[in-house]
Amino acid sequence: MTLSHSFAVLLAMLALASSFALSSLEDGSTLSFAWVVGLAFGLLMQRSRFCFYCHTRDWVLHREHRGVLAILLALAVGIAGYTVVLGSWVQQPTPAYLPPDIFIGPVSWVLVLAGLAFGAGMVISGSCISAHWYRLAEGSRASPFALIGTAIGFMAGYASWNRLYTEAIVDAPVVWLPAHLGYGGAILAQFGVLALLAAWVWSRRKKVDELLSTSSPATLKAWWRALWQERWPAWVGGLGVGLICFLVVIRMRPLGVTASLGHVAREGGEALGVVPTRLLGLDVLAGCATIPQDAWLNPHALILYGLVIGALVGGLGSGQFKWSWPSWRDAARGLTGGVLLGWGAMVGLGCSIGTLLSGISAGALSGWVFGVSMLLAVVVGVKLQRRMQG
Amino acid sequence: MIDQLKKKAQLLRYGSSVAVLLMGGAVLSVAHADPAVPSGPLVSTEWLAQNLNNKNVRVIEVSVNPGQYERSHIPGALNFSWHKDLNDTVRRDIVSKENFEKLLSQAGVADNTTVVLYGDNNNWFAAWAGWVFDVYGVQDVKLLDGGRKKWEAEKRPLDNRQPNYAVSNYQVTKVNTNLRASLSDAVAVAQGKSQAQLVDIRSADEFSGKIFAPAGVPELSIRAGHIPTAVNVPWGEAVNPDGTFKSAEDLKKVYAAVGVDGSRPVITYCRIGERSSHTWFALSKILGYEVRNYDGSWTEYGNAVGVPVNNPAGTVFGAT
Repeated sequence: MTLSHSFAVLLAMLALASSFALSSLEDGSTLSFAWVVGLAFGLLMQRSRFCFYCHTRDWVLHREHRGVLAILLALAVGIAGYTVVLGSWVQQPTPAYLPPDIFIGPVSWVLVLAGLAFGAGMVISGSCISAHWYRLAEGSRASPFALIGTAIGFMAGYASWNRLYTEAIVDAPVVWLPAHLGYGGAILAQFGVLALLAAWVWSRRKKVDELLSTSSPATLKAWWRALWQERWPAWVGGLGVGLICFLVVIRMRPLGVTASLGHVAREGGEALGVVPTRLLGLDVLAGCATIPQDAWLNPHALILYGLVIGALVGGLGSGQFKWSWPSWRDAARGLTGGVLLGWGAMVGLGCSIGTLLSGISAGALSGWVFGVSMLLAVVVGVKLQRRMQG
Repeated sequence: MIDQLKKKAQLLRYGSSVAVLLMGGAVLSVAHADPAVPSGPLVSTEWLAQNLNNKNVRVIEVSVNPGQYERSHIPGALNFSWHKDLNDTVRRDIVSKENFEKLLSQAGVADNTTVVLYGDNNNWFAAWAGWVFDVYGVQDVKLLDGGRKKWEAEKRPLDNRQPNYAVSNYQVTKVNTNLRASLSDAVAVAQGKSQAQLVDIRSADEFSGKIFAPAGVPELSIRAGHIPTAVNVPWGEAVNPDGTFKSAEDLKKVYAAVGVDGSRPVITYCRIGERSSHTWFALSKILGYEVRNYDGSWTEYGNAVGVPVNNPAGTVFGAT
């Protein structure tokens, strides 16, 4: 057992022990739940390299299909799970009664712009916000700058919010697909789209599977070693993320990773005088970036802390934690990409986890619109980047 | 039919296991011995825990936090939204009589049903719902003493399934308008033209005019302070640390200390009329005083033009 592996085991034990301490606090069962889910989420993402941007880039550049299929799997699992949960919350879906606090947002050109900015931010900074959080725990050089950039982008988002709200968002339709198609119709329509996409990806994949097939470990010890040293199959990441996405909503507000950062940016921006103290209509719109929070100790913050620590356990355990000094280029790339990520996540009311994953899973049209815009920006961005690099 | 239902209720009160054959169909209903429904306005968490399967008891959650009921609630409880179900969604008013009848019919409430209301935030909105139920003359409405907080603290069961009850045909027979005070009633007291006593249940800082609204709540009035002659008894004075109401004797003392002893009619108010329902409940249902709730409250009075206002702190709206 290497030193970093021992650290990983120690950290994992400490992390799990702290869930008992959390459970004694007020609303402790939810806090402890969020913390453990965060740990699992971080470990899963780190070990399977689940990342909206990287998977899409690998597809665009190398026709590597497994990552993209994992994203589609995550969405399918999320949709199926949400249908079960929301089906019990709102038995007869109608547009007048949206399920409470689910991320179903307004659909307007602002959302398209948000998706495009977010996608561009991913290309420039190297990943989406959730992946920057877990890469922070791997010693990534650009991620700290990307997260600082995201906070600045959030402030820019808040600063532009009142104008965008009165121009477009206030009148924008909030479309919950089950309210129009029924639960059955919505699940069929969404599964149909995912199935078509998966079939298209499958048919155009680069056929290298045979070369990469590995035999299963023979002993328990070998299996344990493989668990830490080998990358988990992409589909495990997709399945796990989809499961976490809908399991979370049973106990707390939907999965999202921008609420805490958004809160800090809002308070900071208000103190600096760049963010107006009244943000029109914001706190009543449902989205990850808008959850009003006043403490560091809330379920969403704990998911985030858990994500970073869980990823650190994964990074140390696999020896993938590497620290090196960032270059000016890393800093510039992280900051500019981060600003775009932050602005997009704020005016789009969430990121690739909150608005896209939790939104699409819930049957929100806003999730699809944000997702398509983001995808478009990533595809164009990656191709441009390839051309520029020669 | 009604006679049979009454008979059934009697059997439920006294009986051991009984089977009652209802008219018209072979509906067999088996009930266990249930402790009698308490006569007062409150039920304890113990009593409710023993009566979760009592078909004559309908439990309804009225909470302020969205998603609370959906994630977990007392088994068998229904959910009423205070802003969509119990308020008119267009004009500022409580739900219309027709919509209230529809709501109670969907909940399967019949004339012999005991309705038990509970909610988060110390039953604020559940007490407000209790006031709306009383305005529409629902016979048997109780509040779960201690609300969600106590139920959870005692680690009693919760689940997340939505129950379905057979729809009834609930009819409102009389509307108790005398439970509700209007702006003119409040102004009349302020001008000394009415004998009623005003009880302002907001925090001391809201009462004194130091702040327009509690932290985290929008400032919806453009004047600070309180209605002249009002006494300030923050709502929390009426509860024990576990969220249950204080005993009748203790409540009497709390309000008598500021001269409210039931000898004159009382009007309670707060910011939007929901916390004041909590005090309305204590004064009217527990102590039996004659009390009206002024649901327009400070968000109406503090915006009204030309009405007398007391603002000891002297805070000026819009001044920097």
